[in-house]
Amino acid sequence: MQQLVSVVLSALLAAGLYATMAYGLAVIYGVMRIINLAHAGFMMLGAYITFTLFSRFSLDPFIGLVVVGPLFFFFGVVLYRAVGKSMARSGATPSIESLLLLFGVWLVLQNLAYVIWTGDTQSILTWYTMKSIEIFGVHVGVPSVFVFLASATSLIFLNVLLKRTYLGKAIRAVTQNRDAALLSGVDADRISATAFGLGTAFAGIAGGMLSTLMAFTPDFGRSFLLKSFCIIVLGGMESVTGVALGALVLAVLENVLGAYTPVPTSLQDAVSFALLFVALVAFPQGLPALFTRFERKAIR
Amino acid sequence: MKVLRVSLWAAAAIFALAAPLFLDRGTLNDLWNLAFAVILASAWNLLGGFAGQVSLGYSVFLGIGAYTTVLLSLRGVDPFLTLPLGAIIAAAFSFIIGLPAFRLRGPYFTIATIGVAEAVRVCASSVSFTGGSSGLRMPAGSFDFNLNYFSMVVLAILVVALAAYIKRSAFGRALAAIKQDIDAAEALGVNATRFKLAAHALSAAVVALAGSLYAINFQYIAPGSVFDFRLSLSIVLMPILGGVGTVIGPVLGAIIFSTLQIKLLSIPALRDSFLFIYGGLLILVMLYEPAGLVGVGRRLAALAASAFGTNRRIPDAG
Amino acid sequence: MHARSWRLLFHAAFVFVFAAISMHAQDSEIRIGAVLPVTGKESKIGGAYKAATELAVKEVNDAGGLLVHGKKMKVDLRLLDDTSDASKSAQLVEQLIVQQKVHAVIGGYGSQLVQAQSVVPERYGIPFISGGAGASSIYGRSKWVFGTLSPVENLAGTQMDFLLDLVKQRKLKAPLKISLLRENTEHGKDFQKGVRDFVNAHPKQFSIVLDESFELYAPDFRPLLMRVEAAKGDLFMCDAHLEDYIAMHRTYTQMGLYHQMVTYGARGADEAGRKALGAATDYIFASGWWSDLLPYPQVKAFNAKWKAATGNNPQWYHACAYETVRALFAAIQKAGSLQPDAIRNALARLELKDSILPGGVLKFSKTGEATLPFVVTQNKPEGKLDLVWPKAAKTGNPVAPIPR
Repeated sequence: MQQLVSVVLSALLAAGLYATMAYGLAVIYGVMRIINLAHAGFMMLGAYITFTLFSRFSLDPFIGLVVVGPLFFFFGVVLYRAVGKSMARSGATPSIESLLLLFGVWLVLQNLAYVIWTGDTQSILTWYTMKSIEIFGVHVGVPSVFVFLASATSLIFLNVLLKRTYLGKAIRAVTQNRDAALLSGVDADRISATAFGLGTAFAGIAGGMLSTLMAFTPDFGRSFLLKSFCIIVLGGMESVTGVALGALVLAVLENVLGAYTPVPTSLQDAVSFALLFVALVAFPQGLPALFTRFERKAIR
Repeated sequence: MKVLRVSLWAAAAIFALAAPLFLDRGTLNDLWNLAFAVILASAWNLLGGFAGQVSLGYSVFLGIGAYTTVLLSLRGVDPFLTLPLGAIIAAAFSFIIGLPAFRLRGPYFTIATIGVAEAVRVCASSVSFTGGSSGLRMPAGSFDFNLNYFSMVVLAILVVALAAYIKRSAFGRALAAIKQDIDAAEALGVNATRFKLAAHALSAAVVALAGSLYAINFQYIAPGSVFDFRLSLSIVLMPILGGVGTVIGPVLGAIIFSTLQIKLLSIPALRDSFLFIYGGLLILVMLYEPAGLVGVGRRLAALAASAFGTNRRIPDAG
Repeated sequence: MHARSWRLLFHAAFVFVFAAISMHAQDSEIRIGAVLPVTGKESKIGGAYKAATELAVKEVNDAGGLLVHGKKMKVDLRLLDDTSDASKSAQLVEQLIVQQKVHAVIGGYGSQLVQAQSVVPERYGIPFISGGAGASSIYGRSKWVFGTLSPVENLAGTQMDFLLDLVKQRKLKAPLKISLLRENTEHGKDFQKGVRDFVNAHPKQFSIVLDESFELYAPDFRPLLMRVEAAKGDLFMCDAHLEDYIAMHRTYTQMGLYHQMVTYGARGADEAGRKALGAATDYIFASGWWSDLLPYPQVKAFNAKWKAATGNNPQWYHACAYETVRALFAAIQKAGSLQPDAIRNALARLELKDSILPGGVLKFSKTGEATLPFVVTQNKPEGKLDLVWPKAAKTGNPVAPIPR
């Protein structure tokens, strides 16, 4: 029983972080149909900037997130203005050029990090980093709890933004059907810039959160990028809840595999990738679409 | 014009073959690396450039070729005889991945290939049959650099010739139709899946051959070097830089890539700027000339033609 | 056959040219090649190896050089950067041998890089010595390959010796259950083997209740550590890289796990680790190839020399790199000649008596790898560090079990 509680808690905590990571990728893809490989680079940069705020100005990393979010939104919009405009396509299939262009941006970001911070391993140690609290009899690290709270807050904020503001609704409209949205008078350029800014902001925040949990180098970010792919494929990118669902599925799978099966942890990554592949082939619209299909069948 | 082109290719081939006579070992190593890069880039281009299906998982086929060669050699088979088997296994594997994956379009397909490649890498590092993470060594035996060099150069020449032949064939035209508009192509009766699978299998087999030769030349392989994601990335980068969908594009890209690596390393100040330069190049190419160097060349040619006001036919910029 | 006669012609021409060039090579200086990862993934320690190698060469040249063929000859060090790429590394070694005609090659740093390099010396019969790889699968395959780093299995074995001694001192009570984790690399595999072999030889005192491997740079160690918790071991032994050590031990501490003794292989005393984990690193023990705490006079002299030259305290990799070069030079002087066979035989029979490495004497086993004792250090509170093994060299007493 104790183990079950531990597994559930573990999965929940991981899911929050994963959802924040994945959302950054999802919003850019949803609006612009671009796969942002630079996402990993921005996560890494988010981690380093949070670290610098902590080590230079003694700013607590979670408070630092409040700085990182808007800062990275700004970065995202600037990047869009610089290279993004030529990338947006209205067609159903995204272009490979944008994929590679953003990959180039990722490489540049990595090199920037090497130059500014060197390749040394860095980490953040605060007064609460090593402490833990007890939830239902299970010891959970304090940073993990804070990360979950921060993720939940930002995702709720995002949900409100998407449902209540014009910009948010426009983003959802473009994600669902770009041409129809354009016909209704949505300013594609402004929406795309906002989406890019949002995506980058979330990448930065996710990176900042990760910096409180683990040590990092400029190489950091790649495995998280691949996990994010998995999540947006599983959860679809129509909504925040879709992404959260995908994140939860992945987190549960990882923890269940680790706790209840003898699958060695070194092979668990392979399982995630296999899942990605299966998900892509079996339900490319994501799980939520499966649900809507069942719903429709049930109504009839 | 065509005679000039063919003779230029022939001259390059002869130079490459005769190189061991007058070049030093360091330069020969560089040429070997270049030939290796040309093979990978041209093979990838068959599916990625001609048919427009971008796979970021080609390291899998390289690894299959390398591991097949080493595992069989350790059991007593002559290394060069293992080449065909590695190619066949790679082609079969490409078929198994391709069947489900080709149902996906565009970047979805790309992501699927990334997933497969990483899964294979993790498995190869964890399973003891493949030596796990510490890799495998070829059995101690005769090492003949000249033979290795010739094999690689000859394979490179053959692959480029193959690409040129395919481009002009019906097969190549079908691939181009698929790249342009897959739905229109299917409407015209082209069985897109079959052609994609064929191109995938062919390029996989070629990459596996290169992998086998790699194993024979280095005599030690490990998952970290042959199944590396970065390798898959550079295999894609070269044809993009040079010009996808053309025959000379991958070759140019391979040359740029290899010489960049060499030149960069000799300038101490630039050594740490490796990634800046790759990333920067990629960004510039994608922003300004997605057709790569070949595209730049065509633009210059068009400029020159209009500047000199000749009546010469301007090559199709498509 | 036409093709065959062309091939023969090329071969003949090649050999002729090669022979002509080599006949003109002058042996007026000692050419030593080295290929190290100065840039790229392994650049941090690769750069350190470069600095130590260059210091050793400078020392010898400042003293006039090495005595060969009756006269003193300076050493010309040809050091190339392989950018942490294994294929490039092997190619550069070959280039040094074939083109630059070096008399010996100093190997690189990192098991994979050195593995790739080590297939080359056999082809040309040139002595090769590496101070940067402890994977035992590299050695024993060629008589030309030598290594100054003792096998990683012995690292694990030394830790087990230390633990067994604690049992004998009644600080720990047998039987003890071990939870064994390792990174999925050669290093990890060797570590696992070392522990397993010892446990099989001492079944009454030790048993292994968990034996798992993990991928490098794993994002979340919780699932793995939950297995550790469920296994209820007495001792926790894990072989990991720095980043994974930090991430894992954080989660370990947060989950409130406890074991009587904790080790992360060679990690533990790392500066970066102590900075990242604070007091949670107290009482972790680690073993390594060298420590500046070794109480030999030659070590104290080396520490002073290094501090004077660079302003910092030497780390284990500086010492190992330095000693590797010294071993090679000692062999060359002993041989008194630059003939590959002579240098190779001198290396095989070498007994470097004032070595700074643990044990004080450097010599190579039949496989070409040095089998020297390892040191074990234990972190003490307030950032202190004690050398606790070998007992003859200890600077403080080990604390076991870890106080709760």
